[in-house]
Amino acid sequence: MIEKRNLLYVAAAAMLASTGLAHAKTVCYVNAADSHAYATPANEALQERAKELKIEILSLSQDFDVQKGTEQLNTCVARGVDGIILWPLDPQAYIPGLARAQQAEIPAILINSPMGEEAKPFVTSFTGPDVYEEGEMAADALNEALGGEGSVVIIAGQAGNGTTIGRVGGFEDRLKEISSGIEVLDTVNADFDQQKALVVSRDLITRFGDDLDGVYANDDTMARGFIDAWKEANPSKPTPPIVGINGQKDAFESIRTGEMHATIVQSPVEDGRLAIETMARILDGEEVKDRLPIPLTVVTKENVESVEPAF
Amino acid sequence: MRYVSLALQYRVGIILGLTLIVSAMLVPGYVSATTLSLGLDRAATIGLIAIGLTVLLIAGQIDLSAGSVFALAGIVSIMLQPQLGILPAAAAGVVVGMVAGAINGALVVGLKVHSLVLTLATMLIFRSIAHWITDSQPVTGTDIMFSLALAQIYLDVFTVRSALFVAFILLLHFWLTRTIPGRNVFAVGSNAVAAEESGIASGRILFFGFVFAGTLAGLAGVLQSLVTNTGSPVFGSTLIVTVIAAVVVGGTRIEGGKGSALGTLGGVLTIGALTVAMEFQSVPAYVQQVVSGFILILLVVLDRTVNTRRKAAADRPAFVQGNPIKQGGSA
Repeated sequence: MIEKRNLLYVAAAAMLASTGLAHAKTVCYVNAADSHAYATPANEALQERAKELKIEILSLSQDFDVQKGTEQLNTCVARGVDGIILWPLDPQAYIPGLARAQQAEIPAILINSPMGEEAKPFVTSFTGPDVYEEGEMAADALNEALGGEGSVVIIAGQAGNGTTIGRVGGFEDRLKEISSGIEVLDTVNADFDQQKALVVSRDLITRFGDDLDGVYANDDTMARGFIDAWKEANPSKPTPPIVGINGQKDAFESIRTGEMHATIVQSPVEDGRLAIETMARILDGEEVKDRLPIPLTVVTKENVESVEPAF
Repeated sequence: MRYVSLALQYRVGIILGLTLIVSAMLVPGYVSATTLSLGLDRAATIGLIAIGLTVLLIAGQIDLSAGSVFALAGIVSIMLQPQLGILPAAAAGVVVGMVAGAINGALVVGLKVHSLVLTLATMLIFRSIAHWITDSQPVTGTDIMFSLALAQIYLDVFTVRSALFVAFILLLHFWLTRTIPGRNVFAVGSNAVAAEESGIASGRILFFGFVFAGTLAGLAGVLQSLVTNTGSPVFGSTLIVTVIAAVVVGGTRIEGGKGSALGTLGGVLTIGALTVAMEFQSVPAYVQQVVSGFILILLVVLDRTVNTRRKAAADRPAFVQGNPIKQGGSA
């Protein structure tokens, strides 16, 4: 009799425990924007993977408004979610919100972009592309294309922007490291903007003319700007080797036609997936590294048919 | 009939109540002290600016530059921290708001330009200055610990910001209803010429209205920047639309002459409660705007109903008002 009752207790306890486990975890995802060439596929990939992992996503869109994002962190905390994934648009502003989350014992991770040093104690991990490594890979690709010597220009993104610093720094450091004979003639900022890249490229082509052996652009849209400027100036001459970053569809097309030498694919799908997978591991009580990069792929003419463009 | 008009009179309160009841039923975890305190903290930013705008709207004016002043004051309060220290720099930020308000006021009153056009211009100018002095980059303050302390919740409900908001709106209510300058604001808003002729210095009232609105926008900006330890030229770029919506939802007429502080409190809380409820349910941002838009239209239509009803009553000859003639048995 007693045994029977004990059994009943055990069964009841097991049932309680299992309902506790079955209770879906909710993760707050404060994303950069709902509709954006890179952010949208990243968001969708994250949502899809979350469904497979049986995690409920509370998706809040900042629409590139930092202030909105800082307030949305409050909503996440008030809602009492199990974890927070934040796409930071500012190195500092989210810290009080993240501190609140920490007080409420809600783990938070960053997706895609890093925050400043002061934010480190408040986030468990940062998943996203390693922009420094992208610079290094670009250096290797261009070094190979030029056979280790020649004069190049760098068309960089925005001055002071973290992505720009990493992509330019990684490139320059890697050239030194492999003691390449490549000389950087000039580095100019074109703010990740095709039109601005077109204008600065016209100047570069006029200034350096035939001395220009290669080009490194911090992203594919700026590489496109250079190609257009080159075609204006030298309609019949083929372009020098150009290396871009991001792996956009039109860059793939340019690689096929030989207008570009290489690009580096940074996949928004991988970006989104890695973030939610990392959060799932944290929720399962696993230890995760404080920095988890997404895989990067160099795309040249050899593998352009077998790799998927990023967006 | 009397109940209907009573309900219409307190429509903001009723809509706020309905929002809260419906949210509490549909949204799990909505009713809690944390939600209240964080929702209130969030509403405080909109609310502080709304306080200034309530006065201006009653006086028949508008200030579109509040969002830009918000950003600029915040930037100044962060940029001066290394030289002045946190609190003096914060005061300097508020002064920036005050000066911006004085510029708006002096130009509107002095040049007799419509405030809609003038503050549209200063909105662009202040925003550009914010970009200019920061090189379009966010600036970071010196002490993140101060921000963390400022974001603390006291008595389970209030942050420094939300306590200030509630205190100020009660003061505003008192000022608008119980003091002569407060009542003069209504007079200026209903009919500036008539107010002037009855001895009210309407120019001066308008000027100080703008200074008041600028100061509060500056204060809101400084608090935001202190809490986030960041001054950013893009802060508050879409804020003013929400603020105007909150004030108008609260029953303040955009044509001037009518409005109340408690109405604005209701409007701010309604918009805040609605936003939090929809965010809790992961409603996409654009759907949220659609819902807010519809509520705004609904309230404005209700407002019209109340006013035409009253007007209809007032338009009747006095003897009829006091002693309504029954026609065909209907009242």
